[in-house]
Amino acid sequence: MPDTHVTVEPGSFENELMQRMAPRNRLRTLLRIGVPLLLIGLLAGCMLPPEPKTEVGRDVFNLYLIVLGLALIVFVGVEGFLLYAVFRYRRKPGDEVLPPQLHGNNTVEIIWTAIPSVIVFILFGFSMATLGEVEARSDNPGVIIEVEGFQWTWTFIYPDGTAITGSAAEPPVMPVPVGEPVRLVMRSIDVNHSFYVPQFLIKRDLINMGENGTPNELEFTITEVGTYAGQCAEFCGLQHADMTFEVDAMERADYDAHMAALAAGEEPPSPGSEDCGTPIQVAAVETIRFDTDSIEVPAGEDFCIEFTNNDTVLHDIGIVEIGFDGDDIGAGESITYVIPAMEAGEYTFICTLHAQAMVGDLTVTE
Amino acid sequence: MATTTLEPRASAYRRSWVLDWLTTVDHKKIGILYIVNSFLFFFAAGVLALVIRAELAVPGLQFVDESTYNQAFTMHGTIMLFLFIIPALSGFGNYIVPLQLGAPDMAFPRINALSFWLLPLGGLLILSGYLFGGAAAEGWTGYAPLTDDRYATGVGTDLWIIGLTLVGTASILGAINFIATIFKMRAPGMTLFRMPIFVWTVLVTAVLILLATPVLAAGLIALFIDRNYGGSFFDPSVGGNPILWQHIFWFFGHPEVYIVILPAMGVVSEVLPVFSRRPLFGYKAFVFATIAIGLLSFSVWAHHMFTTGAVFLPFFSFMTALIAIPTGIKMFNWLGTLWRGKITLATPMLFALGFISMFLIGGISGVMLASPPIDFHVQDTYFVVAHLHYVFFGGSVFGVFAASYYWFPKMFGRRLNEPLGKVHFWMHFIGFNLAFFPMHQLGLDGMPRRIGDYSPDAGWTILNFVSTIGAFLIAASIIPFLINVIATFINGEPAGDDPWEGNTLEWATSSPPPPYNFDRLPPIHSERPLFFLTHGHGHAAERPEDLEEEPIGESKHGDAERRPEDLV
Repeated sequence: MPDTHVTVEPGSFENELMQRMAPRNRLRTLLRIGVPLLLIGLLAGCMLPPEPKTEVGRDVFNLYLIVLGLALIVFVGVEGFLLYAVFRYRRKPGDEVLPPQLHGNNTVEIIWTAIPSVIVFILFGFSMATLGEVEARSDNPGVIIEVEGFQWTWTFIYPDGTAITGSAAEPPVMPVPVGEPVRLVMRSIDVNHSFYVPQFLIKRDLINMGENGTPNELEFTITEVGTYAGQCAEFCGLQHADMTFEVDAMERADYDAHMAALAAGEEPPSPGSEDCGTPIQVAAVETIRFDTDSIEVPAGEDFCIEFTNNDTVLHDIGIVEIGFDGDDIGAGESITYVIPAMEAGEYTFICTLHAQAMVGDLTVTE
Repeated sequence: MATTTLEPRASAYRRSWVLDWLTTVDHKKIGILYIVNSFLFFFAAGVLALVIRAELAVPGLQFVDESTYNQAFTMHGTIMLFLFIIPALSGFGNYIVPLQLGAPDMAFPRINALSFWLLPLGGLLILSGYLFGGAAAEGWTGYAPLTDDRYATGVGTDLWIIGLTLVGTASILGAINFIATIFKMRAPGMTLFRMPIFVWTVLVTAVLILLATPVLAAGLIALFIDRNYGGSFFDPSVGGNPILWQHIFWFFGHPEVYIVILPAMGVVSEVLPVFSRRPLFGYKAFVFATIAIGLLSFSVWAHHMFTTGAVFLPFFSFMTALIAIPTGIKMFNWLGTLWRGKITLATPMLFALGFISMFLIGGISGVMLASPPIDFHVQDTYFVVAHLHYVFFGGSVFGVFAASYYWFPKMFGRRLNEPLGKVHFWMHFIGFNLAFFPMHQLGLDGMPRRIGDYSPDAGWTILNFVSTIGAFLIAASIIPFLINVIATFINGEPAGDDPWEGNTLEWATSSPPPPYNFDRLPPIHSERPLFFLTHGHGHAAERPEDLEEEPIGESKHGDAERRPEDLV
């Protein structure tokens, strides 16, 4: 049988070839190590949900980290193997030698059936444990709110009969207390909708089940004062994208005052304006400036900033070091923020819309 | 003295070129019709994708209004799935399955023609909504009660229902034809476990279509009755149940995912061994994994419905996670095939490798979604959009292109240009990842799907912009592909019968094959009859001692000129 091998003189041509290949091998080594590392960095750098603002959200976040970890192991393992095989086992031009014709190997196949099985069971176990937390219901929730979804906004109905509704143009705000379980009883009166607050890491559909249907429920305990954007997540027709809302989470006392004012038909007080003493006044003034370039507050206690916009364009106020970034305020409007206690030191307050021109020092003193 | 003069019948019977294609019952011509038709719909739905991505590039509504946007994503999803991916793979099935089985044609050639011609009819009906006050705009899933006549008042939704019912009927007819062909038309010696993997995947797909698609058709007809004749299947105000639609739709819709992915897996399992010069590692394991995926696919539908609060979560979560096992087995089969192979990175191989690496990501995100608490966060967000595009586009569409480059020489006798093919692949691959990878993060950040506008404060702008660039890069990658196809028709390199040193019977006949395919068939003793014809039966052994490397002997088949050395 004629041999179709190209015969190579040992030692001469081959050695030369090896030497010429060396830089390429380094490149390959670099690729082999570099590409997976780069991918891990990329994936780990992002690929995370928002920082959870509810107790259950933390459980979901932790579960997600476990699942993402498993996912990365599988991803790097398989893609690494694939890249290695493709770089390592290339057919050279003119190479007519057949590689070994291996049809299978029972041991190997049993092992690689076992690997995904184990991963799947781990994942399922952790998922079910977290699912128990997510679905847990407290005996005595802080407030039970009926949520009604319709094209294309929401109505929030409170136990005292107060109903807050909005429109696609002016979305409603749902006041809730922090630190207590909030239970939502959710119905649709037309098509399917879904109540979704990304920072709570949860959503639940609102389904129109007719008069006698059982409504869906959702329960969460918010851990931090703040406003959280939410949005309908189930496509519901023409203006689905506009079906937004906000959850305004506040301390119990503020919440009670807020609800009392709503029930009395008054403008609710700004959150927390009563229990932080005299607010520090900061104003934006014409030609895109703050009216002051330094403010001073005591350390270790909550304080308030009352921000007034006397300019003709939008402004906001933020504190760089603590990541606080207030809402955009229109000309002639005013807002009061409660800033949680800060440690002594030098900080910077800015208008994030005009970070170059509008900067000031915030000194927190002992 | 009686003499009879025989008229040469076939050659005397002349028809015009157009009439010939319109009336053909030849599985090869029908296969080509399927593929051409699919690509036309692919380009149409691709344009709609560009509309979507252009609108989402930055916050605000710049190019289209909400109604047009909603129609665009509904038509994009419907056309891509029902009139591109499924028929494109059916087209390759039509062309290749009889050839790989050593059969002269499909079992029912006329039904084959019918099941093709229903497709353009159904597709045009679906799109014709644009001419009658607006196409359907309720999403490709058509959730009740949004599709009820109270909320979807236009005739577009009715046209969508009728069109889809026709397309579904076409699928069912095609499935019956494939099953009959595979069970009854195999050449002597072609036992079930000697069938090429592509045929196996088409068989399992056909069974899935046969069991799942009638359910969708029934649901569509029920919806039509609700809309037009006062029925109350899905209308809660008169005692109907909107969740019923979701059960019906996904009882079809999840097997549908495997209908779309299994034949593409089959393509990859044909391409990898040929370009690695190794048999598929674990042929039987692969076949059983395919069957297992098919079976499991009927027990997972409600994982699309975790947030409805209407399904038993542990069961569907567990069954969904289980599918990862046979899928993982296939992944390892492919890796095992590459391992110690002799790999040639021709364009079909690049697309097959692209399939493996991208489908892996779709598979991983699928397992993540199987966990109900995680699903509660990312369901109906761009995370799901990313996931399904990594499965459908990173998986199936890469498979369709692998098949296109791999079988083009067989269909037309000419080989597509390699450098242009590689340009196409890399633009496609980079554009795909640029378009769809950022969507994972958008979904985790909470961006819902099916919105035409978003707030500039949401922090989604940069990733959306990147994604839009990727989408246009994908569109641009189609240009070298089209140039390649046209240039090859004008002046392509002749392919010969077997340009890739193939393993299976389609390479044992001429390119393109004659009517009824084979003048004579090689003996069939394994799933690689042509390989053993070329290399002899020494390689048939499965015992390790017979697997030493050895030079190829004199081959009946292997003139060096045909080998794709220039492709390395």
